[in-house]
Amino acid sequence: MTDSAKPQLMDRPKTEAKHAASETSGAAFLAALDGTRSAATSAHDEALDRLPVPHRRVERWKYTPVAAWWKDVLSTEVHTVQAAGCAANPVPGLDAYRLVFVNGIFDALASDLPVHSGVVCMPLSQKGDAAVQPVDAFSPETTDWFAGVNGKYGQEGLYLRVAKGVTLDRPILVHHHTTGSGVFNALRHDIALEAHAQVTLVHWSTAASSADGSVNILTRAAVADGARLHIDKVQDEEGQVRHIAFEDIRQSSDSHAEVHTVTVRGQWVRNDLAFRINGSGAHAELNGAFLPGEGEFVDNHTTVDHRVAHCTSSENYKGILYGKSTGVFNGKVFVRPDAQQTNAYQQNANILASDKASINAKPELEIYADDVKCSHGCTVGQFDSDALFYARSRGVGLEAAKAMLVHAFIGDVLKGIKVAEVRLEVEHRLAEKHGWEVWSDYPNDDA
Amino acid sequence: MLKINELKASVEEASILKGLNLTINPGEVHAIMGPNGSGKSTLASVLAGREEYEIEGGSVAFDGEDLLELDATERARAGLFLAFQYPVEIPGVSNINFMRAAVNGKREHEGLEPIKGKDFLDMVKEKAKLVELDGRLRNRSVNEGFSGGEKKRNEIFQMAMLEPKLAILDETDSGLDIDALRIVSEGVNAMRSPERSFLVITHYQRLLDYIVPDFVHVLMDGRIVRSGGKELALELEEKGYDWIKEEIGA
Repeated sequence: MTDSAKPQLMDRPKTEAKHAASETSGAAFLAALDGTRSAATSAHDEALDRLPVPHRRVERWKYTPVAAWWKDVLSTEVHTVQAAGCAANPVPGLDAYRLVFVNGIFDALASDLPVHSGVVCMPLSQKGDAAVQPVDAFSPETTDWFAGVNGKYGQEGLYLRVAKGVTLDRPILVHHHTTGSGVFNALRHDIALEAHAQVTLVHWSTAASSADGSVNILTRAAVADGARLHIDKVQDEEGQVRHIAFEDIRQSSDSHAEVHTVTVRGQWVRNDLAFRINGSGAHAELNGAFLPGEGEFVDNHTTVDHRVAHCTSSENYKGILYGKSTGVFNGKVFVRPDAQQTNAYQQNANILASDKASINAKPELEIYADDVKCSHGCTVGQFDSDALFYARSRGVGLEAAKAMLVHAFIGDVLKGIKVAEVRLEVEHRLAEKHGWEVWSDYPNDDA
Repeated sequence: MLKINELKASVEEASILKGLNLTINPGEVHAIMGPNGSGKSTLASVLAGREEYEIEGGSVAFDGEDLLELDATERARAGLFLAFQYPVEIPGVSNINFMRAAVNGKREHEGLEPIKGKDFLDMVKEKAKLVELDGRLRNRSVNEGFSGGEKKRNEIFQMAMLEPKLAILDETDSGLDIDALRIVSEGVNAMRSPERSFLVITHYQRLLDYIVPDFVHVLMDGRIVRSGGKELALELEEKGYDWIKEEIGA
């Protein structure tokens, strides 16, 4: 089969229509950034020019409101790192290496970098001439305007290299905190694991209750043959902070990569994950739980791209939407013509806990190979009233009964979180946000 | 213990209970029998506080309290228990944690601290023996994948854990084979006491061979149309309900 005869895959950036009003807004946003920030590189200018500024008529942005981005008044004020008070570990009891960033600036005093044979771990700004992941046609920077903005302004982040066969003995906690007004924080993490290397990362984002502005985080990871990358990602941001995050993960043969995303709090959150599976025998796993409350917006866009044969992927996203909140789930799975014997699983289940909440859920499977096993399911429902009544008839209070059902509902996602302390802290923070009794009272089938 | 006076209730605008009177004293076992659609399960649901039912008149006093003013949780904590005809499956919530939440809810109502882990497990062990509920079922998700008999045994286990003042058994015999029926009945009988009352709703006399009632009532078209001793159940088994219909001119 010649290239031209191959089916056109939808994940290639389409020439999407530009929209005059959003182009004007986007240009004004960039002009404001240019006036207040120094660009890391101008290499992305051309890509940015070519990419449409997101608007509702672009399919990938159909359900994601971007207007709030154009209302930012960017501050030139420098928020000093010392004043942020990020010395405390956000995850009690977690024994981990730690990189702390405040408003995109590395906080050396609060950090504890690994000193480990075969591991290079430092803030990106200190890497010198060391190479980063090359940008190609599938990189977020060349396919998405917001990622392009990160490409241009993102100067700081995690730079991690793990040598062949090395397993880092403790997780690396990457804590990003946002504080102050009119902020724009761009952070980029560049990770490469050589063959059979193993590392666990905890990405933890917080924001002060008085903070406003935006956070833009781009993570790129190359996972070589037989390597294992595990990311637990927690978003718990107060204030009026918009958070957009991209994960671009490239997998080689027999590698294993997992990302578990829990959105505890966030006024406006969009997660854009892409796994590209380039080597046979690889496994990708992506799970997520989002529980937006009144006025919050959470969007999870995911892509799993099976490019070669004999790989597996498993995806499980659960949403519970409270108050007047909005959620989006979009899960693309591509199985390319050569990706025979693929086993891909996708599940997205949502509970609308309020009649004012809404969810836009869209699984998209494009399968071009004929000998594959792909399954997917997508549901939207409400709390099971029979189960609630049953629990109440045993003397369990209504709120406790709901918390019990919530825990049962997202339990399988929480179980996937690799670091136990992270899971426990996530449960505590969710309980605190929603006014539940602490969940440890209802451990899930651990007995 | 329980005094129901002229209770009227409807669901989705269909009137089901049409002026029901029933008094249960402490320690008594009452059975309610009646043809399909007579309102037996509605009575159980209304007493337990299911919100889909509209109360259109009458009163229910439970242990001196106005039962109809309490929500489902409060009724349970006040000592009312309903063994469901169709116990609900709750995937992801283990039976044992479910019961811990229930027991602690009751203790909170009584002004007690949450039960200690060891005391709770001891209690589970003791009560599970009553209905031969093995450890496997205790740790599994509530009723998930349980057989019909296991579900009903689990209901009686929960009842034993919560030690209610009044237990309503809604067709607990449905779907039970003879061995399960015996186990469930023995569990119930072990809990009979001068302070605890039972309201046993059933289609069949068979259950009443095991759980011998003090009184038998016939519910028909939303009212109790006849009451008697345990021999009334035998008479119904033999003659069906038609003769009562004729007698009351329905």
